[in-house]
Amino acid sequence: MRMLMQFKKDDIVRHLGLLDLQRTMQRALRRSGLPVAYSKGFNPHMVMAFASALSSGIPGDAELLDVSLCGEVTEEECLAAMNRVLPPALRASRIRLVDDRFPKTAASLAQAEYRITLTGGKAGEIAQAVPAFLDREEIMALRKTKKSETMVNIRPMIHELTAQYDAEQDRAIIEARVSFVEAATLKPDLLMSTLCDFAGGEAARQEIRRTRLLGLVNNQPVALIDM
Amino acid sequence: MLKEKIDALLDRVQKPARYMGGEMNAVLKDPQQVDIRYAFAFPDVYEVGMSHLGSRILYDIINKRTDALCERVFMPWVDMADLMRQENVPLFSIETRSPVREFDMLGVTLQYEMSYTNILEILDLSGIPLHSEDRTWDDPIVIAGGPCAFNPEPLHKFIDAFSIGDGEISTLETIDVVKQCKAEGVSRRECLRRLSQLRGVYVPSLYEATYHEDGTLASFEPIEDGVPRTVVKNMIADIDKAEYPESVIVPFMEVVHDRINIEVLRGCTRGCRFCQAGMIYRPVRERSMERILELAEKLVAETGYEEMTLSSLSTGDYSCLPQLAHELMERFEDKRVALSLPSLRLDSDLKETLAETQKVRKSSLTYAMEAGTQRLRDVINKGITEEDLVSSVSDAFAGGWSSVKLYFMFGLPTETYEDLDGIADLANKVVRKYFETPKHIRAKGLRVNCSASCFVPKAFTPFQWEAQDTIEEFEQKQKHLCHIMHIKGVEFNWHEPQVSFLEAVFARGDRKVADALEAAWKLGCRFDGWTDQFKFDQWMKAFEQTGVDPAFYANRRREKDELLPWAFIDAGVTQQYLWRERERAVAAMVTPDCRKGCQGCGLKRFEGACEGR
Repeated sequence: MRMLMQFKKDDIVRHLGLLDLQRTMQRALRRSGLPVAYSKGFNPHMVMAFASALSSGIPGDAELLDVSLCGEVTEEECLAAMNRVLPPALRASRIRLVDDRFPKTAASLAQAEYRITLTGGKAGEIAQAVPAFLDREEIMALRKTKKSETMVNIRPMIHELTAQYDAEQDRAIIEARVSFVEAATLKPDLLMSTLCDFAGGEAARQEIRRTRLLGLVNNQPVALIDM
Repeated sequence: MLKEKIDALLDRVQKPARYMGGEMNAVLKDPQQVDIRYAFAFPDVYEVGMSHLGSRILYDIINKRTDALCERVFMPWVDMADLMRQENVPLFSIETRSPVREFDMLGVTLQYEMSYTNILEILDLSGIPLHSEDRTWDDPIVIAGGPCAFNPEPLHKFIDAFSIGDGEISTLETIDVVKQCKAEGVSRRECLRRLSQLRGVYVPSLYEATYHEDGTLASFEPIEDGVPRTVVKNMIADIDKAEYPESVIVPFMEVVHDRINIEVLRGCTRGCRFCQAGMIYRPVRERSMERILELAEKLVAETGYEEMTLSSLSTGDYSCLPQLAHELMERFEDKRVALSLPSLRLDSDLKETLAETQKVRKSSLTYAMEAGTQRLRDVINKGITEEDLVSSVSDAFAGGWSSVKLYFMFGLPTETYEDLDGIADLANKVVRKYFETPKHIRAKGLRVNCSASCFVPKAFTPFQWEAQDTIEEFEQKQKHLCHIMHIKGVEFNWHEPQVSFLEAVFARGDRKVADALEAAWKLGCRFDGWTDQFKFDQWMKAFEQTGVDPAFYANRRREKDELLPWAFIDAGVTQQYLWRERERAVAAMVTPDCRKGCQGCGLKRFEGACEGR
């Protein structure tokens, strides 16, 4: 049996890197008393994986941890056990128990949703530029990977992009749903730098948060935990 | 507003997790519900401070009170400190990100002399006046404790009160006094006066020092009636009954000692003559096995840690160590908790314990030989022989270990080049033992890590009167060592003599060195314990500016009758005992462990000390 745990990574712990988060989850699992399965071999470790590594500096509303269990428990028990041991800034919001044969969550991941809050600077101009930005058939951006730098058309990777601007607070909220698959992942910072270039300036402050991880069912986005 | 400002800074620094907070088991209390807010500062970065056991104990005992809260403060790394100054962000606590200056009390732990500039940096970043005399009730009462408080004088200007000895007692007592003073609305001066009445508390502003023309101390007296002439250290007679945290904070980021840490005994009776901890933490007090097992159960359940260590000055001396190690293994093997045993004395009942540790993990073995020849080891009273080392590594190599660490000091009193050659000799013997172990038994990849540090004479040790080698002498010896330590399979490391020289100045400094410390900090010195931050030239400039001769403190031999700046402290061990030990050292006479017979160190004068011995 596997436990899919949807959890929140709060703003205050947004700087947690993947390794720190992994260690924290392992220690929480050890404290929880849940029947976590260990790998076989010389140096056994917990069988667990995040659906996607969330970069240090970005908080997440609905991240997903996939853990193998080796005993019978209920979803309610798991939720209670995990929230008893997790620090307040990392709360489990939902648990789903699935069969071992259930596809790996990381493999089902297709899209991610982000909310980007822009304050000050050119926040208003950037928000205003969104419709024209989306109207273009091709949006070329320089994508850097460890190995190479290539110009790619990111337009097909943007599935939804909306902006709301609050003039009083000089704050824009951008909601973006973008591709998140091996060959075509659009990182939110690349999206934003391209959009800012297009709008001709940057906001004074930019905060990115990942709000959802999504899979596709009949080409329709579905929360990853509900796949 | 401040909280948001701090939060925004975290996007701009290396390792923001140092300042993040929100860890498992961190204690969050409502400031409105308590009388005393206590900020506990460790004058180094988070990952160093979070590894310090004493701070965890005090954090726990303060937070157990319903009328007080304790929050952690660490020294921000240079990038953060500079940004904070630039953005006008005062130093803040980890738990609630509150300005340190708003707390009622600020406790600072003094673990090593080279953190002193960081203490000034902490005060300044907090907006607290550097000098005790300039502070008002708008500032916290600044209290410092820890091993370096046994020679508090170099910090006398900056600290309101020192807590000397076991911190559990005076931490609570000082809170009581400050709480009472605040409730009564008495002056800050009166509060300090009342603090000075507590056992183990030294309030430097209530004493005056005068000096002879040659710079040595002429007199040291209280300036007010009723202020004690002698400050007697605090001592917990029964540590089994003392509070010990049953839950500790589990950091998100990896810290230096990232594991459960259980103190199994306090103090050491071996009597190594260079070792300050071995003298000031006397007598030896053991925690019972039942209590240790109980703590282990609770801490494993509360933290989820995968590793546990038993700590003390000499864990190998714990009277039922093999039994304890065995019991811990048995209980926690299923839970996959590894047990590591640091500072294991090689003359202890090693074999049995080793066989146990092996079940879980093979770490490297550490041998603190300290000196290269038996003669010099007799001088320093380090009761380890070459035979002990050779037979122990031989067992270890046969048991599948291939990594050995050897620790030495150089510049010890009476040392000759023959003693230095002895270091290479021992390293060679270890290497030879490895190759004598049959190939099919021994593990591959021999690694002998040999490190030599420069000897620093410390207060309250039999060597407190001795001169430290000059930097030039250290460098010559170092050159010689580097030459003779070219041995296959051996990696040789040494410490910078410049750092050890400064350590020696502050370890035995008087009130006059405080000015040099302040000048050095003003010249930009901080994080002196970090090689990449250490600025020796600035330090020398600071001594010059203030007319303080560092060699007077580091490289001068004191006479028996010289009034020592720390002599007003009763540390348990008497000055007579220390001198006696010094005389025996010069004669290369060994003094046996006092568990085998009282050596009259002075501790028996303390109630409840050395009971059952």
